[in-house]
This record gives sequence, C-alpha cells and structure tokens, in this order.
Amino acid sequence: MNLYHFIIFSLFLFSVGIYGVLTRRSAVGILIAIELMLNAGAINLAVFNRYLAPDKVDGQIMALFVMAVAAAEVLVGMAILIMLFRRKKSVDIGQLDILRH
Amino acid sequence: MSLWLSENGLFYFLTLVSTFFAVLCVNTRLILRAAVYLMAVLFFVAGIYLRLGLEFLAGIQVLVYVGGIVVVLVFAVMLTHSHAVKEEKPDITRKIIGLLTAGLFFLGSWWAIAQTPALTSVSAELMPLTTDIKTIGRALLDFGASGYVLPFELVSLLLLAVLIGGVVIARKDVG
Repeated sequence: MNLYHFIIFSLFLFSVGIYGVLTRRSAVGILIAIELMLNAGAINLAVFNRYLAPDKVDGQIMALFVMAVAAAEVLVGMAILIMLFRRKKSVDIGQLDILRH
Repeated sequence: MSLWLSENGLFYFLTLVSTFFAVLCVNTRLILRAAVYLMAVLFFVAGIYLRLGLEFLAGIQVLVYVGGIVVVLVFAVMLTHSHAVKEEKPDITRKIIGLLTAGLFFLGSWWAIAQTPALTSVSAELMPLTTDIKTIGRALLDFGASGYVLPFELVSLLLLAVLIGGVVIARKDVG
C-alpha cells in the first residue's frame, strides 16, 4: 500500500463523516460524525509524514494537536448539548430553532 | 506468502474493517451503538499507525480518542437520554442530499488527487524510520526555528479554557 491508497482511505472516512453530519437527526450523532472527519484529517497528516519525510516528526506533532483540539471540541459540544437538553428536553436538531425567531 | 499474511494484507484488513465500521457508525439508529462503532474505527486506525511504525501516535490515539473522546461522547449520550430513543429514519430527501454531497466530494477529491503526479508517484516502499519518541518530545518543547513550543503552550491554554468553559456552560442556571 502506498501514500495514494491511504489518502483515498482517509478521504472515504471524511466523506462518510460528511454524510453523517448531513443525515443525522440527533446532535450527539452529528458530534460523532465530526469526530470521524477530524480523525480522517489526522490520518492524512501522519501518513504524509511517514511516507514523505521519515526523518522528521512535524506531521505527527500536527496529528497530536488535532487530537487535542478534537478533545476540546467534544467537551464544549457536550456542555452545549447538556444545556440545550435541560432547556428543550431534546437534542433533535429539528427542534433547535431558538435563534430563528 | 498469501496476501492476508503479507505486509500489505494487514493494511488492507485494517483499512477495510475501519471503513466498514465507519459506514455502520453513521447508519445505525441507536446513538450509543454509533459511539461504540466510532471506538472500533479509532482502534483500527491506531492499528494502522502501529503498523506504519508510529507507536507514540498509536498510543496517544488509544489514550485520547478511545479512552477520552469516546467516553465523553458516551457521557453526552447518557446525559441527554439519547440512549433511550431510537432516532427517526432520515427522510429520503435528506438521505439523497447527504449521499450526493458526500459522493460528489469523494469523487471530486479523488479525481483531483489522481491528477496530481506528486501524490500518485510516491513509492510504496516504506523508508526506515529514523525518528522516535525522543525526537517528538524534543520538537514539541524546542523553541528554535523548527520547534513547536508556542503551539504546544497555546494548546494547553485552549484545554484550560475548554475546561472552565465546559463547566460554566453546563452548570445549573443560578437564579
């Protein structure tokens, strides 16, 4: 397997994430799909590092930062969802239309 | 040696299984199951890192993603009572829009990648890795031209801000 196959693999994971974001009704499901997309990006960084510059670690460090930011994102997302659930008793995105009025 | 025992066979196995679980993850109607499928995807991706020789990244992937992020997601599922409800089936227009967008993005990017000789002509042979955990640690805390100490500190600030922000957002309204 070479770099090309890995790019296609992570591209596929990212597309699956896009599909999940667009079709999910539950906000938690959307958060899960976003995690898939973030992980696909991190795979790309690590694989480019491994194939193109095996004597450097820049890609791996970027992948580590992606993981840290993903952790931050999911924590804030959880806090917002808990608050929304307390107000609306639901995390269905069809009902989250407070900002529309 | 048969394909499945060779070096490439392991890669194909890991990528196929993780794509399979990714597709399951966005299609299941039970959110808790989606979180578990996501955990499987992340585990197999850690396996790919391991097979590429990036042991540190694989370890962090399991620790942070599987041990941290998925657990937080399961907390989110439990605290919003999403585990009790079965998600409604997405209606057909939503499904078509999602499939079209994701499919067009996939095919378009694939076409663009296939047009780029710099990406398709990289040799399949893995060069021996000359870096290890020590190199990563030095680069993370190095404040020279190729060091990452500033982003490192910024990320630690970000995590602190998120910690405080999460508590403030999710706590009970006072008054």
